Amino acid sequence: MLTNVANLMPKKINCSYLERLTPFDRHFFTGTEKFTYIGSGSLGGKAQGLAYMKEVLETKIAPKFMPDINVTIPTLTVIGTDSFDLFLKQNNLHDIAFSSMRNDSIAHAFQRAELPAQLVGDLRALIAQVHTPLAVRSSSMLEDAMFEPFASVYVTKMIPNNQHDTDTRFRRMVEAIKYIYASTFFENAKNYIQATRHTTADEKMAVIIQEVVGCMANNRFYPHISGVARSYNFYPMEPAQPEDGVVNLALGLGKTIVDEGIAWSYSPAYPQANPPYNSVRDLLKETQKGFWAINMGEPLEYNPIKEVEYMLRQDLSAAEQDGTLRFIASTYKPDDDKIVIGVGDRGPRIINFASILRLEEIRLTDLIKELLKVCEDVLGSMVEIEFAVTLDEHHARPARFGFLQVRPMVVSDAVVDISLSELTEENVVVASEATLGNGMIDTICDIVYVKPEVFDVRCTQAIAKELEKINHELVSSDTPFLVIGFGRWGSSDPSGGIPVNFGQISGAKAIVEATLPNMNFMLSQGSHFFHNLTSFRVVYLSVEHIGKYKIAWDWLASQTVVSEEKFVRHVRIPNPLKIRVDGRSGRGVIRHG
Amino acid sequence: MSGKSFNPFRMAQVQFDKIAEMLELDEATRDFLRYPMREYQFSIPVRMDDGSVKIFRGFRVQHNDARGPGKGGIRFHPQETIDIIRALAMWMTWKCAVVDIPLGGSNGGVICDPHNLSMKEQEQICRGWVRQIARDLGPLVDVPAPDVMTSSQHMLWMLDEFESIRGHKSPGFITGKPVGLGGSLGRKEATGFGVVFVIREAMKELGLRPEQTRASVQGFGTVGQPAVSLFQQIGGKVISVACWDQKDQTAYCFKKESGVDFEALTGITDRFGGINKDRALALGYEVLPGEAWIEQDVEILIPAAMENQITTDNVDRINRNVKIIAEGANGPVTPGADEVIAGRDIFLIPDLLANAGGVIGSYFEQVQSNMNYYWEKDEVFGKLDVKMTSAFNDTVQLAKRKGLYMRDAAYYIAVARVVQACKDRGWL
Repeated sequence: MLTNVANLMPKKINCSYLERLTPFDRHFFTGTEKFTYIGSGSLGGKAQGLAYMKEVLETKIAPKFMPDINVTIPTLTVIGTDSFDLFLKQNNLHDIAFSSMRNDSIAHAFQRAELPAQLVGDLRALIAQVHTPLAVRSSSMLEDAMFEPFASVYVTKMIPNNQHDTDTRFRRMVEAIKYIYASTFFENAKNYIQATRHTTADEKMAVIIQEVVGCMANNRFYPHISGVARSYNFYPMEPAQPEDGVVNLALGLGKTIVDEGIAWSYSPAYPQANPPYNSVRDLLKETQKGFWAINMGEPLEYNPIKEVEYMLRQDLSAAEQDGTLRFIASTYKPDDDKIVIGVGDRGPRIINFASILRLEEIRLTDLIKELLKVCEDVLGSMVEIEFAVTLDEHHARPARFGFLQVRPMVVSDAVVDISLSELTEENVVVASEATLGNGMIDTICDIVYVKPEVFDVRCTQAIAKELEKINHELVSSDTPFLVIGFGRWGSSDPSGGIPVNFGQISGAKAIVEATLPNMNFMLSQGSHFFHNLTSFRVVYLSVEHIGKYKIAWDWLASQTVVSEEKFVRHVRIPNPLKIRVDGRSGRGVIRHG
Repeated sequence: MSGKSFNPFRMAQVQFDKIAEMLELDEATRDFLRYPMREYQFSIPVRMDDGSVKIFRGFRVQHNDARGPGKGGIRFHPQETIDIIRALAMWMTWKCAVVDIPLGGSNGGVICDPHNLSMKEQEQICRGWVRQIARDLGPLVDVPAPDVMTSSQHMLWMLDEFESIRGHKSPGFITGKPVGLGGSLGRKEATGFGVVFVIREAMKELGLRPEQTRASVQGFGTVGQPAVSLFQQIGGKVISVACWDQKDQTAYCFKKESGVDFEALTGITDRFGGINKDRALALGYEVLPGEAWIEQDVEILIPAAMENQITTDNVDRINRNVKIIAEGANGPVTPGADEVIAGRDIFLIPDLLANAGGVIGSYFEQVQSNMNYYWEKDEVFGKLDVKMTSAFNDTVQLAKRKGLYMRDAAYYIAVARVVQACKDRGWL
């Protein structure tokens, strides 16, 4: 494990990974190779990351954990970016793609286009032999550089792929691929790329077609556990250290963690540590209550341009019915005010993975620690990994651990020292002891903030739109800014915060998350939102109204207004703000003057 | 592009006899399959634009329909003979069988030169041809399709005439119709794309990568054009294309060492696949005699024009770097030339396999027409690729297992399947 945050920029890897992979031979599950490619060009960042890990997983990790856990990269084939180029060219999609048309209009145009002839035979052969769910994932070429991991910018579509008719399965897969291609040109992606040194024209999309790790119950298909683990933790709880990393686990598909930010979070160094909740009541309130699964039954609607067309969000009672809670849930016994591991008793369930983390029924924590270390060694940087696990209740078979993704984490290596007294000095606009990121910024004169006097939690979607508009203007003029808002940035629940995607505030170099007296948000982000913050070296400061540090609202209100919307104000100050965040201590301060 | 005393039917019979011997077929079976089951020859009177009446000779040959309704093209050609039609019908039987689609083999044509006929006169020929043979055609009997110098327009005239006679709509009567009027997306490209799908598989067999290969193509019509386009898309380079020049009544080979520009070339090509010589020169192409296509320094030859093009007279001119010959046309290599090609270890993809994409595309169109429900292009090409690749793999595996030349392996599979169908029906 790395011991400090210095020199953590991922190193460029030059080995020709493509030569180590095998072309798809039209045998998906039955071929000797489980990681293949179709066509040529780049495989995109996501696939490339997996390709780098393939050998080391097979030779160093997997043997150590058999027969308890079968560690693999789930069977996949990658469609190279050349097919994407050809698809655009043959269907004359460039004008539409680079236009300012709405996402759904672009997606419709892409659905009407035809995939290249040299691609569809392989897809047809694949689909003819596979009857289990597939994940059709984006793998963008700009990620290839391994410096700009575009987390959640593009879409992933899960297809049940269980229709009896080959033609139907084929059509669903083709629709999914076209949808992934279209997502390259969605507004969010364009905004995001604008915030990098690239343009959308530089971007090309590879597509991963991958087996979904999961199990089937009552027309639902999902893994027992999805997880995201990072080798560096920006919010360590005593006694854990940042270098110990952090693991987030959830029941069902990973969407719960990466898009909703709901998970059981723990340090792999202290998997048995008590959760960071004040009371059992808090724990019951915050525990995962729903999960995502692939709908294997009758589709609820036909909508090929909807990412979750074949996905279901279910209550825990569905998992109870499916019998998938045994290893992952505990039960609250109100009479004793106690939490009991397992689901043997009646009572509210808490998704805390206690059988695994406390009783160590499988060596999941050891495996994750080992994986993080090996991934760091291979990529030469701190990493974030995603995985899915299925368990066998009777231990007749090993647990299956599907390694889904590895991304480098980018962290500033500047040494910033902030003393406690600096947080309360003159001219402080924002101070916090709960920050994310590391570094100093002294180029920001523009501040965009949600006006506290008119903020209404029912209007967070409208606020997101206003922010997007201002962001677009500032990004177009290459003007970095500080943004201040209320609740959880990037929340998928509009009542939990401002539901922006990262592209809607992509020009912000510093973000402040605040609460108001009438709010009670759990301050955290979805994994992908979080990942993008670190990738773009955005510093993030959390300020709770009950804390000792306040935001200088009066000072903000006295600055020159550039534009004013109903909920959001954009002000400009004559001299740049001095923004400093110390990643080691977690302290951050923004000063004016 | 010629051959004066060449008899394709004789050639088809020789090929069949060889396989019959391998399969140890009995005399009755050989006798049954050496000749067509049915032949129709008829006259078509047409009132010409100048008011005169001219009689055209028409044909339809149904070689074998044990595996399903007959399927085969209609050719308009001044040098048409019944033996060409017989050979093509027999080849269709084998072609449908080798790619395992439930159709038999037919072919037809009219002795005429569309270059010298107005559209109105061609329409009269089409309608007259259908009137003569309508009772012996139909979606469940024998299904015509376009071939040399016939197009989707001709098919539509024929369909219209057939439906008028029968008194009901019958889009499955004929294939090669325009998209939107019963045609299938992808049908136009199917033959040429099919050629490239099997070339791609052959390259895998030989350990070649597309980007390492160059090709020379004879013919730039309905087969050659999509083949050139897709071959370049998968990474290969086409350095020469030969085609017939109607004005000069000779063939030319258009060459560019750096690779032909497909879009520029199609921009100066007429509807019969003839490239404008002067404009090609202006675009920087070398214009060589038509025969030059065969001697180019390439890895792949694609004869996609006419039968009888690689013979004992010119087979020695094939460049020593050639590793694959894919027969986009029907019967472009004579049996004598076959022996030389086999001796040089060139991987030959025989016509009945290489250009079967056309009949598979036709079959798909017929299926769609009979359902009156049409597929997306992705679906057509996906199915086409899988059919072609499966047929190729079956053929290669048999060739390896029995130590056969690829043509013989393809015939072996096809004839065995047809014989089995005849036996299962109790015919033999």
